[in-house]
Parts: sequence; structure tokens; C-alpha cells
Amino acid sequence: MAESGAPATVYFDHAATSWPKPDAVLDAMRAAILDAGGNPGRGAHRLAVAASRTILEARGSVARLLCVPEPRDLVFTAGCTEGLNLAIKGLLRPGDRVVVSSMEHNAVARPLNMLAAAGVIVDVVRADRYGRIDADVVERVVAQSQTRAVICQHASNVTGSIQPVGDLADIAHAAGALLMVDGAQAAGHMRVDIGALGADVYASSGHKGLLGPQGVGVLYLSPEIEPDELKQGGSGGNSEDPMQPRLRPDRYEAGTSNTPGIAGLGAAARYLAHNGAGIIKLERELTARMYEGLLGIDGLRVLGPPPGEERAPVLSVVHERIECDRIAFELDRNYGIAVRAGLHCAPWAHESVGTLESGALRFGIGYGLTAEDVDFALAAMRAICG
Amino acid sequence: MSSPQRRPYVVFGFASTHDALSGEAALVAAGLQLTVMPTPKSLGALCGIALRLAEADVSLAEETLARAGVAWSGQVRILDR
Repeated sequence: MAESGAPATVYFDHAATSWPKPDAVLDAMRAAILDAGGNPGRGAHRLAVAASRTILEARGSVARLLCVPEPRDLVFTAGCTEGLNLAIKGLLRPGDRVVVSSMEHNAVARPLNMLAAAGVIVDVVRADRYGRIDADVVERVVAQSQTRAVICQHASNVTGSIQPVGDLADIAHAAGALLMVDGAQAAGHMRVDIGALGADVYASSGHKGLLGPQGVGVLYLSPEIEPDELKQGGSGGNSEDPMQPRLRPDRYEAGTSNTPGIAGLGAAARYLAHNGAGIIKLERELTARMYEGLLGIDGLRVLGPPPGEERAPVLSVVHERIECDRIAFELDRNYGIAVRAGLHCAPWAHESVGTLESGALRFGIGYGLTAEDVDFALAAMRAICG
Repeated sequence: MSSPQRRPYVVFGFASTHDALSGEAALVAAGLQLTVMPTPKSLGALCGIALRLAEADVSLAEETLARAGVAWSGQVRILDR
């Protein structure tokens, strides 16, 4: 229960999860539970078929939004972490070499650390002080030895840096390697064209910039690759087959799907198809406004690319005297401003930009915020840091 | 009371629910009438959803599915009400 007199919430934690969601998302989830409550792919009665149609429609909607040519190559997952685990563990074998950026989230770092103990060779390419990965450096590292895959985020959840994933696709493919992209901080916050990008794997959460509910994500797998599935089980058909069917998307979606979550994500994708360009434009304007304001506060260091350079709507700061968790607490308690302090599940990234010890205070800008909200947050920061 | 006359239908089976419902969407868009039904056991190990069409529409249905890039995995003729 909220404390008496608590201020209204001003939500700046979109890099963790977006809030609020468009009404269409809630409506679609309610409809999925009420009107399509059967088990998708299990049985041919009306509620089961309605659930299956809900998922088919959602897959098509998300595929169109992310420019995936063939919807069956887009797998629904429980989130970006599951998608990345599927691709990384399903494709890499002991002895394989991976070139990975130093800006990766633990959703990449931890699976790789586990695989490294099993004999996968992991070579890390360090980012510059702004959290940017240099494609030329990646190319040189890839050329040093046979490489199975290059793994890089599309945008950083710590610095907002946008990485040159298109160039990395060319570099990887020229070396006979795959490119796997963590798109958690990019999808919905910028136009993502997976078909044009050339990535072999592209994973995203559904609940951040894509504005869907938590518990659902998407994973694009190029038709040329056949990663092992992360789990085996019921697929709704071919039940006599003792092994997991190889058909997509069934192969990678064993077990009952999260139909309400997928319905919500599908509705969010349709919402973004109509409103996404405006949301992206507003996010950029608010990010620039916030950045300019933060630069004017004494004692604050703003992480990430310099002003004027394109970035994801993420602004992390470190104060020279006040610990970031203290600022986060005051923002929440006294102003109702929700931010995230700490390491953001990305110790590699913080180490890269020199904030592993201090952590940082992160403002994640997104859907529903206004210029007035940004000004309010800046005033609060000035009061706390002044 | 006399039972309704049985009519010839063809049931299309699919390897996956994704194929079956993609096929349904394509066939409906082409103006074909169909019924979603459980896959007859005679079609073998496929997904649980099949599409039943009037026998007279089979050729058009096959062309429509081919144009939509949807593969069907089996057909069986049935008499049904």
C-alpha cells in the first residue's frame, strides 16, 4: 500500500520496463483470457482455435513491425534473456570462438561465462569511454582467429550507446561467422529492420520499448541457422514423434504459450505500427532535453555518447559526492520519480565506462513521459544535488 | 426422422498450427468457405487442426495455399453433414 501523501508516480525506468502500457495492450490481454482461453495448438475446439489465432495474429504483427520477412522465424520467448540463452547455448559448442562486446548485459555475459567454463573461447572487445564499440576493432579481433559468432547489443542499457550492428553483420559474415544481437534497448525505441540488418539472431524483450507486458519476448532466428532448442516438450502436433519437431515456430515453443502475454505484445506491435514514429521522435526530444539539463547540474557526470550524437533514450549519471542509490531513494520518496540505481545487470558495461564501483543512476525515457516530466525530474535533481 | 444427406468434403492436414491457421487466413481471404476441425486420424501424425472444404473447391484451395506459401501435409476425402 502506498504511504499516505505519497506523490504521484513519474516513471523514468523505461529501460527496465515500460509503464504504463497502451490501453490496447490491456484490452487484448483481457480478450485473450475471456474469449480465447483455450490452449493454443491443443485441440480444435473454438477456444483453442481462438487462442491459436491470437498467437498467429500477434506473430504477424510483431514480424511486420520488426521487418521480419517470414513470421515463422520469429519465436515467442519468455523474454530477451531466454531468447539470448536459446541462441547462445543452441549454437555454440566447446572449441568455438566468440567475439563479444564489453557492453553486454548479464543476459549475454552469464551464458557466455558458463560456456567458457565448458570450452567456448570468449574474446571481449572493449568499448571506448562513451560505451561505443568500434567496428574496425571488432574486425581486427575477428580476423585473429576462426570465429563462430560475434555478439553485440544494438543499444546499451547503461550508456544508451547505439552500436554499429549493421557493420558488424558484414564483418561477421565476411569471416564466416554469425552475428547475434541483443535488441532489448533498441526495439520500439528506434526503427528496427531485422531483414535489412542482416543479423542471424536478434532477441528482444517484449515489455520495454515494444510496450508489451512482462513475461514475453521475441527471438528472430535466420532460416539458415538451426540452433538446438532450449527445451523439449509438447508442441500440439506430431505427438507420435519421440523427438522435438524441427518445424518453426513449434520447435522452439515447447509447452503451453503465454497467450495473454503474446496477445498483449501483438496489440502493442499494432499500436506501435501506427504511433511508433511519433513516440520515437518524442523520446529523442525528451532525451536531448534531459541530457542538456543534466549537464548543467554541478557534480554530475553523464555517461554515454556526447551531446548531439544519436543514442537510445537512456541517460545514466554519476554524482561526484552523492551515491546514486541515495539520489534514487530521494527521487522516489520525495518526488515520486522512479529511476534505477546500481549496475543495471551489466557489470561489464559499467567496468567499460569506469563506474563498476560507483554504479550509476539511470533515467530511462519512454512512452507516456512529457517535457513537463523531464523538467520536473531536472528540478528534483538540482534540489538533491545542489 | 430422416438424417441429413452426407456431402463430399476434402480435409487438408498441416504439419503445424501455424501452417493450418495461415492456410485458413489465405483461404478465407480468397473467398473460400471452410470449417476448422480436428485432424482426422487417417491423416497421420500432424498438428491437431485441419481445414475442411467442399470437394469442388479443392483445386482452388490448393492454388491459394501454394500462392500463400503455405504447405499442406495431407488430404483425405470424407462424407459429412
